[in-house]
Amino acid sequence: MEIGPIWRTMLRNKSSYVLIALQIAVTMALMVNAIAIIQERTRLMGRPTGIDEDNIFTFNSTGFDPNMDFQALVAEDLDAIRNHPGIDNAVMTNSLPIRNGGWGQQFQTEPGTDVESVGTGIYFVDEHGVDTFGVDLIAGRNFTSTEINWFDPESDDMWPSVVIVSAALAESLFPDISYDEAVGKTAYVNSVEPITIVGIVKTLQASWPSWEHIENASLVPQKRGATSARYVVRTEAGYRDEVIPQIEKMLAESYKGRIIRNSKTMTEVRNDAYASDSAMIKLLFFVVSVLIAITSLGIVGLASFSVTRRTKQIGTRRALGATRPAILRYFLLENFLISSVGVATGAILAVGLNMWMVQTFNLTPLAWYMIPSAMLVLWLVGQLAVYGPARRASFVSPAIATRTV
Amino acid sequence: MFRYYLKLGLLSIRRNPALSALMIAAIATGIGACMTIVNIEYVMGSNPIPHRSDVLYYVQVDSWDPNEAAVDVDRPPRQLTYTDGTALLEAREARRQVLSYMTWRVVEPEDSEQLPFQVQSRSTSADFFPMFDTPFVYGGGWDKSADDNGEYVVVINKEVNETLFGGEDSVGRTVIMNGDRYRVSGVLDTWDPMPKFYDLNNQHFGEVEEVFFPFSVSIAKELSSNGNTNCWKAPDSNGWEAFKNSECVWMQLWVELHGAEEKQNYLAFLDAYAESQKALGRFARPLNNRLNNVTEWMEIEGVVADDVQVLLGLAVLFLAVCLLNTVGLILAKVMRRAGDISLRRALGASRRAIFVQYIVEAGVVGLVGGFMGIAMTWLGLQGIRGLFGQSRMIDHLVQMNWTMILAAIFLAVMAALAAALYPTWRACRIQPAALLKAL
Amino acid sequence: MLNMKDISKVYRTESVETHALRDFSLHVEEGEFVSVTGPSGSGKTTFLNVAGLLEESSSGIYELDGRDVSSLNDNERSRLRNEKIGFIFQSFNLIPELDIFDNVDVPLRYRGFGNAERKKRIERVIDIVGLGSRIKHLPSQLSGGQQQRVAIARALAGEPRFLLADEPTGNLDSEMAESVMQLLESINAEGTTIVMVTHEPNLAQRARRNIYVRDGQLEEAVPDLQVAAAL
Ligand SMILES: Nc1ncnc2c1ncn2[C@@H]1O[C@H](COP(=O)(O)OP(=O)(O)O)[C@@H](O)[C@H]1O
Ligand SMILES: [Mg+2]
Repeated sequence: MEIGPIWRTMLRNKSSYVLIALQIAVTMALMVNAIAIIQERTRLMGRPTGIDEDNIFTFNSTGFDPNMDFQALVAEDLDAIRNHPGIDNAVMTNSLPIRNGGWGQQFQTEPGTDVESVGTGIYFVDEHGVDTFGVDLIAGRNFTSTEINWFDPESDDMWPSVVIVSAALAESLFPDISYDEAVGKTAYVNSVEPITIVGIVKTLQASWPSWEHIENASLVPQKRGATSARYVVRTEAGYRDEVIPQIEKMLAESYKGRIIRNSKTMTEVRNDAYASDSAMIKLLFFVVSVLIAITSLGIVGLASFSVTRRTKQIGTRRALGATRPAILRYFLLENFLISSVGVATGAILAVGLNMWMVQTFNLTPLAWYMIPSAMLVLWLVGQLAVYGPARRASFVSPAIATRTV
Repeated sequence: MFRYYLKLGLLSIRRNPALSALMIAAIATGIGACMTIVNIEYVMGSNPIPHRSDVLYYVQVDSWDPNEAAVDVDRPPRQLTYTDGTALLEAREARRQVLSYMTWRVVEPEDSEQLPFQVQSRSTSADFFPMFDTPFVYGGGWDKSADDNGEYVVVINKEVNETLFGGEDSVGRTVIMNGDRYRVSGVLDTWDPMPKFYDLNNQHFGEVEEVFFPFSVSIAKELSSNGNTNCWKAPDSNGWEAFKNSECVWMQLWVELHGAEEKQNYLAFLDAYAESQKALGRFARPLNNRLNNVTEWMEIEGVVADDVQVLLGLAVLFLAVCLLNTVGLILAKVMRRAGDISLRRALGASRRAIFVQYIVEAGVVGLVGGFMGIAMTWLGLQGIRGLFGQSRMIDHLVQMNWTMILAAIFLAVMAALAAALYPTWRACRIQPAALLKAL
Repeated sequence: MLNMKDISKVYRTESVETHALRDFSLHVEEGEFVSVTGPSGSGKTTFLNVAGLLEESSSGIYELDGRDVSSLNDNERSRLRNEKIGFIFQSFNLIPELDIFDNVDVPLRYRGFGNAERKKRIERVIDIVGLGSRIKHLPSQLSGGQQQRVAIARALAGEPRFLLADEPTGNLDSEMAESVMQLLESINAEGTTIVMVTHEPNLAQRARRNIYVRDGQLEEAVPDLQVAAAL
């Protein structure tokens, strides 16, 4: 409507408008990148581990009695746990997904030392592993009880000959065949020891939440350990919290030469794994909110100023025939123009900042829709912020025009 | 005269309470955000052992896979194999050297009323205590002969001493760990290096171990590390001997060297050692041995987390927004008072007088903003504690120190003055005659 | 053209009620040039404000162009001001950030004319007031007399039938005042009705009809203008 004169007015009074535009631009750059980080972290946190997170808990049994019969104790413990009411299944293993610490190994499709290999997280389990973890077996079979042995440090035993792998690992080892075809294929561990894939689970994450190949994990049929055992227990739905102290007490009393410690539900494991991410998300949300608040308060402040400073002018316009809506529109339009300059500059800043962060901190690049959405949001914020002062302006009486200074 | 300007400034601040509050709040939030993150960086990156950081060197030798570097492009592995660690320790080519790794133990109190408990412990050679200058309440570390003879001696911290011995001088008394009896040689006083520089391979800000005992004992007891263990090649067979002789890296070596010459000599020694290993068919990679002092090693290990650096960048932008906000508001204020300024000029105020008047006013806003900024920083740190939970690092954070408080005030005043400069300059340019034409 | 009957205007503040106009009745014919004089605070500006639809009267009947305007809403009043009334203010009231062209353009924008029409009108009225060479100047770059001529151009641009001027020469020296007065007279000669408040007796005398306001009331017997000016 009257963009021309408004624009020319702004050009004559550049500095204060440039300041708001710049403020909007920097706000936008910051907001876009903060939200990009939030999105990225939310995506990371949203990845399923593949196990029955709601009903699983884990704890350690650490023996200190030098005369303990570890293998017998583990068998007794597992028996007792599995028979405890409210419990679905239990297994001894070395770690859990996203627990920050576990066993890693390289798998390869050809034997030899100079061969490309793929990293995988390893969970040593018995035939109850698949059921206890609650992973979804999509091809092949589970381990049989005859395939489970105790690892003997004194022997020259090789690595177990069978393995269950995650679908992601199967794909990176054997990219061009179906899961059913991958079952039965042989991979090599420790460069030369053959292992046959007997089963594939849909999803199973490794133990390190920030590892780039986190979706690569394997179940290996073996029992290991000499003094310390990690148990993973899956309870019937809804019984978890009530069962944990019962199990702790039962095991602590069944044998005094060890301590039961570090009980953690899978929910806690997940919270720990992503504690800094979730903190970062909250922090950034807070930052973005405060930022928008400050910017809009700034707009309110400056617009109020401008209305006060221009009271006489507004009265004159009214006297010359401007309706109230026309005055309102004037200020909204003015703000829209400033915001437009701001968000246009902001778009460039945001992309620049993002490129720098992608380079320096390996963040993911912005999604295409981030820039237009941020523009929309800031336009809207600007209009909302200026609405109050603009409305006040529209109520300036035309009689001001004749009342001298 | 200054007092007159101060009075004018305060008057003007009071005349527009909402606006002044907004400016002060903007500066305070900007400063608060920046200082919170700077504080985190400061705590994370601070030198944990300033008086010794340039004589302590972390040793790396490249024993890794011929086909692939251990870390990134061409860096050697972050820890040492047992073979290399013990060889370098025994060579004693530096003034002092300490080889250590982290492991867990279970302590059984003699008093059978008390339950056994697990402790984080470090298996280390004797030089650990003098080299890292650890404080003792009672006794001290053990000497080299204890290492050589595999004596069961132990250094415990104050808390364990409190639990086991009620805080008494326990030197010479016995601690039972995993069925073995150790003689207490010393009780550590509070020792809280931040970060835990001597073992950056595990948690950067992890807890200091509660119990220390000789490296030779833990090897005899066949204790593997509870920290990271990395292998580029599987041990030749199962069992402890094979693991000890394997290419797995799991221990850390620090040496004490004074001056560039000693460092050169030690590097030369490391190269010679690597050559000798090459002759044995190990160390297939090019020579790549490294010595880094404490601060260099912290830098390499990225002790200040990426997240914090991202946050710092964002906080600086945040401050920029707050400042732009303030500049805009002060400018608006000045423009609204153009008539007043022009009148003062007409009444004989010099440019300098106008300049001083507005800069004083802005300075007051900045100062108040700075003080509020400190409060905001404190709130920010509380918030960080709420978000990230209790930890040793966070506890350090929340104790704000004078450097930070002064820095906050300085930053706030500088920020406010920077914000005031442009509007003040504009104010100075207002002509005495402008009043006559002002609408 | 303008017909006021028993108009009253009361300003209420917390403590006082000011009766700025009381039972004010006036009839102005189409094409008249009326000057209004009276002591300061007597209600002249208030009368102009009511006449120009800047304020509503507290009571009474006001017909503009045969139409009762007391019941119109704000938008309708704005529209009427824009189309029928031109204003000239004592302190010019030009918008400082806009150049001459854009200042004159203001009422035309609100009228909703197209680009070509606006340009034509603006150039015409700026020529009338003799400032064609200054079209890109800002108000601050003009003298008081020139500014007032711009304000007159602005008032004329919409071709109002009714021009209201509140002490248009109050801020001008006598030479400039004379040129503004001549301009107004020539406009009146073209058929525009003018009501002008002024302090200056000799200017007031030049109008075809003089009215005198005291205490918010129109005095039938117009006193000697010299006396009025002295008040
Ligand atoms: N907005 C207002 N509020 C209260 N009183 C007012 C207002 N405007 C004018 N007045 C009062 O109304 C009276 C008439 O004012 P005005 O019409 O401006 O007089 P004039 O223009 O003749 O000098 C004066 O006493 C003035 O103080
Ligand atoms: Mg008046």
